[in-house]
Amino acid sequence: MNDFPLKLVITGHVDHGKSTLIGRLLFDTGSLPDDKITEIRQICSALGKEFEFGYILDNLEEERDQGITIDTTQIFFSSKKRHYVIIDAPGHVEFIKNMITGASQADTAVIIIDAEEGIREQTKRHAFILGMLGIKKVIVLINKMDRVGYDQERFTSVKNAYLDFLNEIGLHAIQSIPISASNGDNVATGSSHISWYQGPTFLEALDSFEVPNSLKNAPLRFAVQDIYNFSKRIIAGKVVSGTLRQGDAVTVLPSGEKTQVRSLEEYLRNPDSAETGKCIGVMTTDKIFCDRGYIFSDPRDTPAITQQFRANIFWMDKISCKKGQQIIFRCSTQEANGKITAIHTVINSSTLELMGSDTDEIKNREVAQVTIRTDRPVIIEPHTKTPELGRFVLVTDNVSAGGIITEVLL
Amino acid sequence: MIVILAIDALEYNLVDRFNCTHLMQKNYGKTDISEFSEPRTMVLWSSFMTGKNLEEEILAKGDKEMWETHIDHARTFFSHFTSPAVIDLPGYNYDIMEHKREREILKHFFDVKTPEEKEQVKKEYNDRAFAFHRKIKDEFLSALRENHDLVLGYFSIADVIGHLNFGNTTLMKMIYRDLDEIAGSIPAPYIVLSDHGMEPIGMFGDHSRYGFWSSSEQDLGNPKITVFFDIMISGISSGSFKGDHS
Amino acid sequence: MDHLDQLENDSIYIIREAYKEFKDIAMLWSIGKDSTTLLYLVRKAFYGHVPFPVLHLDTSYKFREIYTFRDTWAKQWHLNLVIARNKDALARKVRPDAGNKLTCCGELKTEALKQAIKEHGYRAILLGIRRDEHGIRAKERYFSPRNNQFQWDYKNQPAELWDLYKNNESAEEHIRVHPLLHWTELDIWRYIQREKIPIVDLYLAKNGKRYRSIGCEPCCSPVSSEADTVDKIVEELKTTSISERSGRAQDKERAYMMQKLRSMGYM
Repeated sequence: MNDFPLKLVITGHVDHGKSTLIGRLLFDTGSLPDDKITEIRQICSALGKEFEFGYILDNLEEERDQGITIDTTQIFFSSKKRHYVIIDAPGHVEFIKNMITGASQADTAVIIIDAEEGIREQTKRHAFILGMLGIKKVIVLINKMDRVGYDQERFTSVKNAYLDFLNEIGLHAIQSIPISASNGDNVATGSSHISWYQGPTFLEALDSFEVPNSLKNAPLRFAVQDIYNFSKRIIAGKVVSGTLRQGDAVTVLPSGEKTQVRSLEEYLRNPDSAETGKCIGVMTTDKIFCDRGYIFSDPRDTPAITQQFRANIFWMDKISCKKGQQIIFRCSTQEANGKITAIHTVINSSTLELMGSDTDEIKNREVAQVTIRTDRPVIIEPHTKTPELGRFVLVTDNVSAGGIITEVLL
Repeated sequence: MIVILAIDALEYNLVDRFNCTHLMQKNYGKTDISEFSEPRTMVLWSSFMTGKNLEEEILAKGDKEMWETHIDHARTFFSHFTSPAVIDLPGYNYDIMEHKREREILKHFFDVKTPEEKEQVKKEYNDRAFAFHRKIKDEFLSALRENHDLVLGYFSIADVIGHLNFGNTTLMKMIYRDLDEIAGSIPAPYIVLSDHGMEPIGMFGDHSRYGFWSSSEQDLGNPKITVFFDIMISGISSGSFKGDHS
Repeated sequence: MDHLDQLENDSIYIIREAYKEFKDIAMLWSIGKDSTTLLYLVRKAFYGHVPFPVLHLDTSYKFREIYTFRDTWAKQWHLNLVIARNKDALARKVRPDAGNKLTCCGELKTEALKQAIKEHGYRAILLGIRRDEHGIRAKERYFSPRNNQFQWDYKNQPAELWDLYKNNESAEEHIRVHPLLHWTELDIWRYIQREKIPIVDLYLAKNGKRYRSIGCEPCCSPVSSEADTVDKIVEELKTTSISERSGRAQDKERAYMMQKLRSMGYM
């Protein structure tokens, strides 16, 4: 079994059955401890209510230890083939905030639509937001098929309407599946009610989803955090992409100097390689100048050094953002002053409504597509290529926004 | 019809966190109970229904007698309504024996020593609280179908369960969801009010020093619990309770 | 990287960030297993050095073994050890009696820390607090990193961080850094086991009892256990469900709760 779980995010209009789907998925895959289900059943009967699968999801979010608020819910389940984690969040705001700030990074997204109700405005907006957050491939689930008598025509018409829409915004549905979460049809197990459907169940679709390549073999980037001179000069930092190896030739950015990795330094150890995500110390063969914020890169594929880029940001300061105001841009170990020079579109993160185009202001909890200009060059990449060099925060007096870089402008 | 959902110990932070939209309505916030020396259930509800700070009067009765307070109907704002239905409100008509028994079991919990005994007592305590809650729920929902101009339902479940189980978020969340559903089924404009909130002390819950309020009609700011008397009275005369609820 | 490697890696990153951003930094060492693990991680982060002061909040009620351990390792690791005491409270003979266990902690520990920060001008403090600890402690927490500084935060931080940004009403002027936030009790013991980190022997069972959490002598009660080595403790933890602070915090919570319920006429 693959070690690392596939990360999913499940979206859709709030009444279209997300909670029930997750509860059902967990139940059918045996991913929940029995005593948890028992406890919920007991409480339901104590309150005089019917047990519903939606309650399972509802309560999984909560930790037993009080006083801890979690924005990112991580719900684990496993099929026979692999482990999964559903990155879920109580509402749109949290979901967007977490996605954009990297607190939760989904590999794929699932969109649920109620077969009876059909596509709602929110269903469309969800897809749009997913696109903004860097997800291109989705699985579409058309739920509550039991309410429409498992009718094939209904399924096809809802499916086609939605696929047309997804096409317009550049998203690709890798599967469209008719399900009934409350009855369990096509969620983890097949269904006799839907004999006209020949495709995979939801779980089968997930199992066959190809995990995007890890960053192990991506071009090397090492971000310098600090320089130590305790007994020897060690450059401390983090490998943000690729694998750093002893003997590697590197280009030091932004200076462009070239050198070689003489040794990798850990306390009392000298490993010969360090993978993506590892904090490690480096000693170079040449005495090069570098400081916090510098990047060591693979000489054959270097990130951009630029002062301008397009990004999608989530503004989370009560004080609105005004076009042109001074902000501090922080990305990986870099920091620079800058301005938002253009605000292309603004979206309300709760309702997902379009608030404006080419405007001058971004309010609290709005998502915007912007152009940013920094006062001095920064070393960045599109978020889809190197997440850590494509993710940043904007600071005024507080951390005011998180964002992802969509396009480097030179 | 105007409805008041009086929920003992309903905590602002949890309503917010669990996103209980029917409990929150359009306007919600905290009440100001700073004029009282301690957030005592009896004192707070008595002051609520009479519009006056009755702390001295209630406390003068002493710990035991306090729980048997019975405020005269004429002193309450209910007397301004033609056909009010008030369910289990402390200090007015609440089930003295039931709540006394609750407190006895609570004390018993702290008296027994071993973890096994504690679990047993806690289960007895919880089961009892839930059984009573189901009863009150039924009474409340029935009253809503009858022809009253005021229906006030007092729910103690959050407080009772909270004292011994506040750290069990699964349990608390389901209770809040249930209360939210009850609010959602009210077919008239309503106000939600709590005497105080609850804050965690490990697994236990202690009273916090502010209550919760919500209304679909107006933003009440940071009201004292005693102003609801006037709000109710003026609401009747201005006829603002006759309209459609939002 | 396996699970422990990942935890170690993330903690070291946080420690290095804190050191870079706040040169006037100190770490709190309670001599317990968590803060000793933190100290160990600090040494790893800085290649065998601890380039800032190590603060011990001495309530004077600690076990003798704690003092011995402290002095031995402070010497061994060449620590710049600063011992902080709330002299005023001690002069007033503040003691953890039945009613005031909570306030005693407040005075002897929290106040002593405040005084030390004021006296030495520390801008940031490293603490070994973990997310899975519960009890009254959960309420006292507030976290760094502060608003504009750290990059790694929103990837690895629990969301209460966001609440912190929003409710920025902290009266304290220093920042608290919690590199061990994502570690569980079991993680700590497994790491201690793997790295052979020295710990106070009170944690190991003697005569069928051991301390799951150590602090001041009057407030700590041991639990029944036969685990007299770190390996056995790890095994025991994998199967037990009794909370770590059962000896201490639950006792205090119960006492406090009874007091409150009495004052409100419930009992």
